[in-house]
Amino acid sequence: MKKKVISVLLCAAMVATMAIGCSKSDSGSSDDKKDSGDKKDSYKVAYIARAQSDSFAAWLANELKAEFENYDDMTLEVFDGEANDEKENTMIENAISSGFDGIIIQANNGEAQLPYIQQVVDAGIPCITTNPRVECEGTGSIDADPYEQAKVNCDLAIDQIPENAKVVVLLGPAGNFHSTERRNAWEKEFFEKRPDVEILAEDIANWNKDEAMALMEDWVQAYGDIDAVVSMNDNMAAGAIEVVKDNDKFKDMLAYGVDGTAEACLLIKEGKMTSTGLQSAIDLAKMNAEAIHSVLTGEKKITDINDNVPAPLITSDNVDEYIQMYKDNGQIKE
Amino acid sequence: MSKGKFKNSKFVEKYSIFIVLLAMFILCAVMNENFLSVNNLTNVARQLSVGTIIAYGEMLLVIAGLIDLSVGSVLALSGVLSIACYQSTGSLVLALVLAVVIGVLCNLVNAVLVTHFDVPAFIATLAMQTMARGAALLYTKGQNLLQLKDFTIFGQGSVGPIPMPIIFMVVITIITWYIMNHTRYGRSLYAIGGNEGAAIASGINVKKNKYITYIINGVFAGIAGVLFMSRVNAGLPNGAVGYEMEGLTATIVGGTSFSGGVGTTMGTLAGAFIIGFLNNIMNLTGVDSYVQQIVKGAIIAFAVVLDIRSKNKKTRKVILVADDTKKEEAK
Repeated sequence: MKKKVISVLLCAAMVATMAIGCSKSDSGSSDDKKDSGDKKDSYKVAYIARAQSDSFAAWLANELKAEFENYDDMTLEVFDGEANDEKENTMIENAISSGFDGIIIQANNGEAQLPYIQQVVDAGIPCITTNPRVECEGTGSIDADPYEQAKVNCDLAIDQIPENAKVVVLLGPAGNFHSTERRNAWEKEFFEKRPDVEILAEDIANWNKDEAMALMEDWVQAYGDIDAVVSMNDNMAAGAIEVVKDNDKFKDMLAYGVDGTAEACLLIKEGKMTSTGLQSAIDLAKMNAEAIHSVLTGEKKITDINDNVPAPLITSDNVDEYIQMYKDNGQIKE
Repeated sequence: MSKGKFKNSKFVEKYSIFIVLLAMFILCAVMNENFLSVNNLTNVARQLSVGTIIAYGEMLLVIAGLIDLSVGSVLALSGVLSIACYQSTGSLVLALVLAVVIGVLCNLVNAVLVTHFDVPAFIATLAMQTMARGAALLYTKGQNLLQLKDFTIFGQGSVGPIPMPIIFMVVITIITWYIMNHTRYGRSLYAIGGNEGAAIASGINVKKNKYITYIINGVFAGIAGVLFMSRVNAGLPNGAVGYEMEGLTATIVGGTSFSGGVGTTMGTLAGAFIIGFLNNIMNLTGVDSYVQQIVKGAIIAFAVVLDIRSKNKKTRKVILVADDTKKEEAK
């Protein structure tokens, strides 16, 4: 009997937990639906996000939702591709058949999504590819240029990194377009121009802070002196810094990243990180919303949309304005 | 087969993992001068702590014929909620308690699904993996939680020269060892995993023991969540993806049989250290990361082949052998 009571209670707890979870997520999506249903001459736009579990992609989706609130005649529904080509392609097909007026696609893998993006074009639906850009005739694109994002760091590092310096390099997932392009920029804009600099170690930390920490801990043991950390994103740079932050021997270590995350801004402010190239989800969201709106209202042709967000360099000189930006959107608390 | 030969093979079987660990330790020390430095060995232990704590939970479950694929997600959920709790209350104790409560709640759901609805543990915990990850992402809106302040004490603080994560790992090792070797519950796990039907027939409360196992696993997952987030100084809702595999790898390399009924605490600890030393020496000597993946895979395959070969004489009557081991240890 006791067992039955316990099991009933546990089941109730489980159902309640699920209900709480569901009701929360429901409230988000039902709001979107309500908006789109009520207004008759409003445009329905679908955003197919690469992966809501990726912190940058999630930030971009959040900013897009916020940006669309500013438009009376346009609503947004967000779909999650879950970092899976198969799922993302299904989402695109569903968006076509659901009769959206415009579709914004953040490809997980440009090649894999290309035939489906072509389907959107064939269906006569305006389509923008964003972060990354996918080359497909009949579409528009808004992107950040990964080469440029790393290059702004290189331009600073070329004078900053001391002669005969020893550096370590942290990479994103193997084959990732943004990681590869950022690494190319470092190669062409820095390492080729500074043959005196020695790469002690270079390894993949999959954009992750914890994996970068483990690598850096081992590298500190193996090499002792490290003059600079060259990271393809801020998360990994932050991981490397975490390892040596209280170690006086490394207090002059330079560290470069890309993304301009809230954490990187705080580290730059503290003087622990050197610089980062901003990839602003706010700018990307703003430009995407403007672009799709101008196409839907007939101001512009979809094929005229082809822009890059700027990639400003964040250093201790200008970090305060970005910290303020993150305070405004709640990612940094006082 | 002669009795002496049998005894000999039993010795090798029982201690093979420690022989491998010792050989590896010596090999690493020879390969790189930095390996033996106190700092490096402390690093390895600290890097291992979260994985090892998870591995103990997996070990208990695998011995009982169960599994938990949700632990990475549950770890992330309890970790981020614990940080949120600390940020709003300022209490480290409350934050730790909340993490454990979340870990236990998630695992109670696992246990209900497995014991009362007969959902295979693989499927039930796979469902929890998705739910817990979703909850962590929903709560944080997919963004990292920052400005942890004193919360980092769990993962970065130390008592004297010993880092906190290592202290947690040692305490949990002792608790797990005690549970497995000196409690009726621990012994009954071997029986359940060896032959569930026989265990029921012999009067063991299988359902209750499965519940306890998931609850212990939940406690470990909660603590691991706090250590993980505190160590990286950020609440990462998408952190620790695939950690269940790290835990399972240490468990299996450490000699726990995937078919249940066999496994030891010290074996799991040795398994974790074998993987840890392997990762460490490859980073110290600058082995290419693609090659690292191949080597790691090969070592796992090798360890399991060894395990199967050394145990293939054991038939389905594992329960009896396990009991024999107990008797021997009691002597």
